[in-house]
Amino acid sequence: MKYTLYPGCASEGTAISYHHSALEVAKVLGLELKEIEDWNCCGATVTSSVIGQFAADVLAARNLALAEKMGQEDVVATCSSCYAILGNVNKKFSDEKFKVNANDALSKDGLSYDGKLKVRMLLDVMVSEVGLDTIASKVVKPLKGLKVAGYVGCQTVRALREFDNWENPTFLDEIIAALGAEPVPFSHKLKCCTGAMAISSADITVSALYPILKSAHEAGADLIVTPCPLCQMNLDAFQVKVNKGYGTNYNLPVLFFTQLMAVAYGLDSKKAGLDYCIVSPNNALKQFGV
Amino acid sequence: MSDATAKEKATIKYDSEFTKKVYEMENGKWVKMCMQCGICPTTCALKEKMDLSPRRIIQLIRAGRKDEVLKANTMWLCTSCYTCACRCPRGVPMMDVMHDLRHLAVENGINHNSQAMAEVYAKDVSKRGRIWEGGLMLNYGLKIGLGNFMKMALDMQDVGKGLMLHRRLPLLPPKGVKNPGKLREVLNRAQEIAKKEGGH
Ligand code: SF4
Ligand code: SF4
Ligand code: SF4
Ligand code: SF4
Repeated sequence: MKYTLYPGCASEGTAISYHHSALEVAKVLGLELKEIEDWNCCGATVTSSVIGQFAADVLAARNLALAEKMGQEDVVATCSSCYAILGNVNKKFSDEKFKVNANDALSKDGLSYDGKLKVRMLLDVMVSEVGLDTIASKVVKPLKGLKVAGYVGCQTVRALREFDNWENPTFLDEIIAALGAEPVPFSHKLKCCTGAMAISSADITVSALYPILKSAHEAGADLIVTPCPLCQMNLDAFQVKVNKGYGTNYNLPVLFFTQLMAVAYGLDSKKAGLDYCIVSPNNALKQFGV
Repeated sequence: MSDATAKEKATIKYDSEFTKKVYEMENGKWVKMCMQCGICPTTCALKEKMDLSPRRIIQLIRAGRKDEVLKANTMWLCTSCYTCACRCPRGVPMMDVMHDLRHLAVENGINHNSQAMAEVYAKDVSKRGRIWEGGLMLNYGLKIGLGNFMKMALDMQDVGKGLMLHRRLPLLPPKGVKNPGKLREVLNRAQEIAKKEGGH
């Protein structure tokens, strides 16, 4: 199984542990992920308010053009936001006028994009292509007794509505269960963490994070997993601020789901990237040899 | 609502040009499509922090109440979470409408911290093709001014410390695209085309 990988900027900074653990886990699963050569930032939702929607679309499309140059393998993104942006732009290429204009701009860098590739999210590829049976078959340390809150976040299943169920998603929980752990239901599974607002309006972010942590905690979760870099960073790095602001004492590790897979696959904690976690998962995962 | 805003409201006039302007924007057709059912505010996570709900914003655009619309914090608080868009019976992509409104607000000289952030972000993209998350904070700090930055740094020190200790904020920029100059040419050309085609 082969895909071209769009890593996204977070893979080089705040979500470095997502990137590395995803590559390690993919190796175990025989999933070939070839990084798009010379990729650029997808632009997220903010760039369009500065350079305009069309230029922001072209920025994102440059990555698809580069992927096409490498072959006919579909593109997979790890980050929810990158997936939403690249996927939306990809759809626009079915509009002939958009395609002509976008290729006009891309030609300045000697590129063009035909619009034939699909854009997928890693979470989707794991469940729909790799399959839960295969995911389960590689487990060497079943995560028995571990209670996990699968925080899907907002854009992941809603932005394109191309996989899972966007009102009641199950993919993430199914992976958790395939690893032998227990997915716990909690009310704020899909509630927005406010994303990049964390920097410009931290107080609003903290007030959005509080009920997410609270509901996961009350559901008895030992830790949280998520498929989204911003969700991970906000819940992990801002947990201390939530505790200060609300007088709580939460100590909930927040992992990327690929990190939890790495643990269940018996990969060492370096490969799983566990020391990048701010709230230490060592206690919760001690029983599994971490 | 404060007295001041109540008074302002009393003096606000209907501005049909404004309504037309929004209709002509990239997502203007959606503003026409809305049937004011009220589902979006009930699903919006940020509603309580917004001056005007997403539904109300649309109502006021149609009523030509330019100042109230452009001064609202609504479009700046929308996180593009897609919740309302998924549930809207007319399929209105509210986050895209909000992006148009940000544009209009900026054009009218209204600004917001998240626009400052967006500008820093876009600058990094055109300079290096990729975002350097560590530098992002720094440049954002410069943009909002030293005083504000110090306040923010103080307020964020726990968060920053955690990220630093766990090597999550690279101190040096990771490599960018090979030829950022070419990327800028692509983006410039795209902006030219957008201008030629109308809209933005
Ligand atoms: S959205 Fe974020 S993670 Fe994705 S490419 Fe852009 S900056 Fe990087
Ligand atoms: S939950 Fe937060 S980080 Fe995740 S997609 Fe939504 S805004 Fe982005
Ligand atoms: S849910 Fe849709 S139709 Fe209903 S008020 Fe909101 S935008 Fe309008
Ligand atoms: S997309 Fe924006 S307006 Fe709609 S629910 Fe999310 S934050 Fe609210």
